[in-house]
Amino acid sequence: MAETSTKMICPRCGTEMNHHSDKVLYAVESADVPEADPALGGVIEEFHACPKCGASSSRHG
Amino acid sequence: MEAVENRPLFIPVILGTTRQGRMSAHAAALILRELGKRSGLETELIDIAQLPLPTNDAGEAIKDAGFSEKMERADALVVVSPEYNHGCPGLLKHVLDSCLKEYVHKAVGIAAVSSGPFGGVRVIQNLIPVMRELGLVTIFWDVNFSSVQKVFSADGALLDESFVRRIDKFLKELIWMARTLRLGREHVPLD
Repeated sequence: MAETSTKMICPRCGTEMNHHSDKVLYAVESADVPEADPALGGVIEEFHACPKCGASSSRHG
Repeated sequence: MEAVENRPLFIPVILGTTRQGRMSAHAAALILRELGKRSGLETELIDIAQLPLPTNDAGEAIKDAGFSEKMERADALVVVSPEYNHGCPGLLKHVLDSCLKEYVHKAVGIAAVSSGPFGGVRVIQNLIPVMRELGLVTIFWDVNFSSVQKVFSADGALLDESFVRRIDKFLKELIWMARTLRLGREHVPLD
């Protein structure tokens, strides 16, 4: 599964966020199964932080 | 990277037990006081007994908006936990499990409280893998409140001033890690 390449925008201040971490989530809803990475066995959650206001956010990768 | 230094660090102290008569409250108050003496950071006490988390579900399904907002704002956490039967209080784990994205790549220091002589070393060992799985970064300083009934009077007065020095070393490490991880979170890309 291709990684998400678009930059995440801070929901608080609108600044482009920094993608700093990924985690594989195994306990997912059945609706998430099609998104599971076949090599890693789960859904990749991306974690992003805002360099301006410090907000954190995440999304499926 | 100017914004990194312009915003004060936020380092809340989580009081991790709901038990009546908890001596951990004195330990948390002392660490909060020592944090409050430092410039460039903000802190506050988060008492898990005051969080309205249900027990008929678990994990992010029971996320409390107020707690989540504080965890997101935090750059580091101090977790004050007693050792109950070699582990942490079940409700502390319940609370910690209610967030994830809020914690990732943030520092955590553990202060353990015990009425016995070992200072909660077993609860610290118990919590370290939990913290890791939550995405938190543990520091290698702890505070061990051994025989806590000898450290504080019943009304919370500090009886052993050596803890001020120990907490100072603990907080220096935690703050360094908090600053470094903030820089990484906000400016160092994964790819």
